[in-house]
Amino acid sequence: MRIKILRRRDPESEPYWEAFDYDGPAESSVAGVLDWLNYHDDVVTADGRKTTRIGWECSCLQGMCGACAMVINGVPSLACETFVKDLGGPEITVEPLKKFPVVRDLITDRSSIQENLKRTDVYIGEYRPRSGEDHEHQYTAAKCLKCGLCLEVCPNYTSGKSFFGAAFANDCYLVAARNREKAGQIKAAYNEHFGKTCSKSLSCMDVCPMKIPTIASMAKLNKLK
Amino acid sequence: MKKILVIGSGISGLMCAIRCAGRGIQTTLVSPYPSERAQSVMAAGGINAVLSFSDEGDTVESHIEDTLKGGAYLGGKNAVGGLCSRAPEIIRYLENIGTVFSLDPEGRPARRAFGGQSHKRTYYCGSSTGKQIVSALVMEARRFEAEGLIERRLGSFFHSALIEDGVCRGALLFDERSGELDTVNADALVMAVGGQNALFGKTTGSTLCDGYAAGRLFTQGVTLKNLEFIQYHPTTLETAQKRMLVTEAVRGEGGRLFYEENGKRVYFMEDKYGPRGNLMTRDVISREIDACGRDVYLDISFLDGRLIDERLPEVRDLCRKYRNIDIKKEPIPVAPSVHFFMGGLAVRLNHETNIENLFAVGECASMYHGANRLGGNSLLAAVYSGTVAADEIAGRESAPKTPDFGGFLRDEREKLKKQAESKSPLPVMMMRDALAKTMREHLGIVRNAESLERGISDIDGDLDAAARLRFDPSVSPYANYSLSGILTTARATLTCALARRESRGAHFRSDYPETSADFAYPTLISYDGGAYRVSYDREGSYEN
Ligand SMILES: Cc1cc2nc3c(=O)[nH]c(=O)nc-3n(C[C@H](O)[C@H](O)[C@H](O)COP(=O)(O)OP(=O)(O)OC[C@H]3O[C@@H](n4cnc5c(N)ncnc54)[C@H](O)[C@@H]3O)c2cc1C
Ligand code: FES
Repeated sequence: MRIKILRRRDPESEPYWEAFDYDGPAESSVAGVLDWLNYHDDVVTADGRKTTRIGWECSCLQGMCGACAMVINGVPSLACETFVKDLGGPEITVEPLKKFPVVRDLITDRSSIQENLKRTDVYIGEYRPRSGEDHEHQYTAAKCLKCGLCLEVCPNYTSGKSFFGAAFANDCYLVAARNREKAGQIKAAYNEHFGKTCSKSLSCMDVCPMKIPTIASMAKLNKLK
Repeated sequence: MKKILVIGSGISGLMCAIRCAGRGIQTTLVSPYPSERAQSVMAAGGINAVLSFSDEGDTVESHIEDTLKGGAYLGGKNAVGGLCSRAPEIIRYLENIGTVFSLDPEGRPARRAFGGQSHKRTYYCGSSTGKQIVSALVMEARRFEAEGLIERRLGSFFHSALIEDGVCRGALLFDERSGELDTVNADALVMAVGGQNALFGKTTGSTLCDGYAAGRLFTQGVTLKNLEFIQYHPTTLETAQKRMLVTEAVRGEGGRLFYEENGKRVYFMEDKYGPRGNLMTRDVISREIDACGRDVYLDISFLDGRLIDERLPEVRDLCRKYRNIDIKKEPIPVAPSVHFFMGGLAVRLNHETNIENLFAVGECASMYHGANRLGGNSLLAAVYSGTVAADEIAGRESAPKTPDFGGFLRDEREKLKKQAESKSPLPVMMMRDALAKTMREHLGIVRNAESLERGISDIDGDLDAAARLRFDPSVSPYANYSLSGILTTARATLTCALARRESRGAHFRSDYPETSADFAYPTLISYDGGAYRVSYDREGSYEN
């Protein structure tokens, strides 16, 4: 099987493609493929050239931490839960997330996600329980991995300078739902950095590893007073 | 104190930073990646506490007793007393900052039963307790980040502590983006770097927990404790890259362990321990599976499919996704795996190490769990220890002028530069794999002197090679420079296991299968000009 990887030495240099032959276990995940390619005395490209080891990020290796987010066959995915056997075809392309600055190879700097939340004071402060809360949806929203897949796929999200995307919207919902006193302030930030621009393509929901129904966060947040 | 440095942003690091910032202390929170990537998010089961609406008859005293007993009485009464008495306050705090706990019919945090405990007192958030706590703590930390009291430093790794005359003055950090080492001065340094997973390669936890800091600090004069006590989880699913935890709930729902012999199933746990054999404690089951010496399976396929969907959806999905196993139709192949480290940096009740102003919290500190940990107590300890260290720090005066560590910085920069100049393609991961093999072989569930000695001599060879060999510079410099520290932690761990000539809690010696009163004390190990010195804390100078 052919694995094509879009690589980059460092943030300053130009990206370039490299192809590799993979004949490791067929049941492997893409994370497993990257480990397999790296785990040789020499890393050799498909045309026989020695090359450097491929940089990528991981932590939990079971879809719980969001570290290994990348673009696989054009789809923003977690490498540790995307399996070679499900991708079909003799070739797999692997690229870093494009909406974030590349650090090296498949490693990107996603700190803008946290920066934007900080900038707009998205924190609960003090939880004030209320009757009739949608506890289940709050639980789901709090599972957000901050992996960036929703931002990668979003047609409205570019670099996170003004439109902050679904990860931001879900956190806004969580804050406003858990502390209604902040609902006014949070809704203003939400409208400014999400609501007024979101075109409801909802592709974010298709790629979310936690299956967070962002549309529900939007509807519920709009209803909160 | 005015300025502190916290290394690691899992639950314990977050908690310590938040509490310090709450007391007006300028806090720098360092981790290579954001908190969402820390192992803490993987904790599923829950967090222990006795609240006013817990089981009738349950008391803080019985939580203390269960913890001490679970730890085979190596934990300190005062330490565990503090942990369990403050647990109710901790649950209230976590709820107050917005953690989404599962609720009981009365709308209060819900609880479940966990192994080794006399009462049902494990409070939980669905199947993602750790993640929900992290989400709430991240928001709370953000509040202080917005106020400028917490500064997050992402992309940085710990290199060394800055220590002079037995006092810690900050740390040397490696910045992945600039590729540079730099000193950060601080009035106190708090280590919150998690367990030592990398010693064993594949575990149930995160690859970010590597045991480097413990080894490095050990050679800098910090005492380590109880390293030989490592908890194995009996039922994990093997995949190419890791071992995934198959929750105890499967056995709770009636799951049966067996192996096959001559085409027949042998239900070895039930044969030996009776009908409740599958519910024995983690260490007993792990040892029994180990003793089988063949493939073991966990069967739940006889349970009504609807009940599986309702009660075990995560296990169903995990097995299907990673191994294409349908648990409604076939048994799950399981094996024990390293899961939790009771040992780590030795700390006193205030979470300070033997070096002044150097603290350790969370799983990297050895405290409370003795020779074995109760499920649900480590999340509690992560929150509690972060709080204790912060309160101690807040009450202290800032150190006078920081000494000059310029010479140290220059030397370490020079070493790093030399490593980067290498032309070798040799990947450091191969040495890490060899280490994991050594540890699995010689520091498994059942240990003996001969094997442990061989393990030590293997690691000595590796340490020697690590000092001579040059590694592929295209791998992260952290991966390269951390190798020696990781090997050092491994050697210290084997040394502690060899010295403890008895069996207790998670440490089982086939050549000393009995518990011995001579060893009823925590193990301490310190570094003395290249020698690894083991002693026992008979006076309870660390934990009492
Ligand atoms: C699968 C699983 C399930 C679990 N379930 C439960 C449960 O139900 N209940 C319970 O009580 N406990 C449970 N535990 C244990 C519990 O999750 C941990 O003990 C706890 O979360 C540890 O928190 P921590 O803050 O000490 O460390 P971690 O969360 O591991 O955080 C460590 C931090 O240190 C950073 N770090 C590491 N090395 C360096 C370095 N060199 N430089 C800079 N930063 C570094 C990491 O990046 C990370 O930010 C479970 C563990 C696992 C693996
Ligand atoms: S490594 Fe955690 S989600 Fe892939």
